Amino acid sequence: MILSGWESVFFWIFSIAAIVAGLLTVMARNAVHSALFLISSLVSIAALFILLGAEFIAGVQILVYVGGVMVLFLFVIMLVNVGAEEEGRAAIFNRTPQVAAALIFSLLLVLGLLLAINRGYKGLPKAETPETVVANREAQQQTLPPNATGVSRLTSDTQRVGSSLYSYAALPFEIASVLLLVAIIGSVMLARTLKQELAADDVDPEIVSNPTPPAGN
Amino acid sequence: MNYLTPVFGLLFQETNSRVSAALEGIKHPDLSKFLVIAAILFIIGVAGVLTRRNIIVIFMSIELILNAANLNFIAFSRYLQDTAIGSPLSGQVFTVFVIVVAAAEAAIGLGIVIALYRNRETIWIDEIDLLKW
Repeated sequence: MILSGWESVFFWIFSIAAIVAGLLTVMARNAVHSALFLISSLVSIAALFILLGAEFIAGVQILVYVGGVMVLFLFVIMLVNVGAEEEGRAAIFNRTPQVAAALIFSLLLVLGLLLAINRGYKGLPKAETPETVVANREAQQQTLPPNATGVSRLTSDTQRVGSSLYSYAALPFEIASVLLLVAIIGSVMLARTLKQELAADDVDPEIVSNPTPPAGN
Repeated sequence: MNYLTPVFGLLFQETNSRVSAALEGIKHPDLSKFLVIAAILFIIGVAGVLTRRNIIVIFMSIELILNAANLNFIAFSRYLQDTAIGSPLSGQVFTVFVIVVAAAEAAIGLGIVIALYRNRETIWIDEIDLLKW
């Protein structure tokens, strides 16, 4: 897999954007700013997915993460926000020795990962040069059907992802649906107030808030 | 740049070939560049989890880690498509499941945060130490 031409330009733009936005996510003082930087990082990663030919996953990423999960995050930040962090009264990081140890070990981890990628990548089979990749891609595109306007071509990758989700990944797919059901019920159970909990258990809230027994008993 | 090549070539033969290899890597990014980007995003997420005090930002760092893994999956899926070694789309299928699990994890985790904030009035992880000692 080798990118060339405009693809490589966009690759560098979006990968640098993703890394800078990720750093700002971790370092921003305001949690809302953190969430917004995380959104831009996720959108840049979705653009990288498109460069890699995974259009369906890019769409799912933007719909589910940016449209769903991050909105949930923003709601919870609004519900919970204490305001001491962005006013500078509370520290945003842990105590200094903890931060130093964490950064040192992260640095060791990044060095180890880069070394592993450097060593291991040489062993992978790659019998292609940029020219053959471009030629192969153009030859593949000639076999695809043209779209309605006739300008570009339709790829069948998304169709293949969908059919493999329902054929050989059918069991994990069903398990994932059960997992989502459990998550829905679990978050409803976790987030309800004491009053709602008592009402669900058919207990009169008056008894709990007023534990003295009525007179004459 | 070509007319300078003999001059530099005499002085820095080794460096010159390395520089041209690096330039080639920048002009034509391949699988290893995607792996490096994903590794850097992963480390940023790990550092965020380890250093921040706000539990919501820690959740966001976990999302960043999961996305670095997704990027690896998609990059290897494309690599397998191009070199025709294995089943080409299983990486994309697995990424769908990672996104599903991330969504479920965020919903449950944020539910826990809300319940915690109702009971303890705090979202700082160094004050949430009821189970610690």
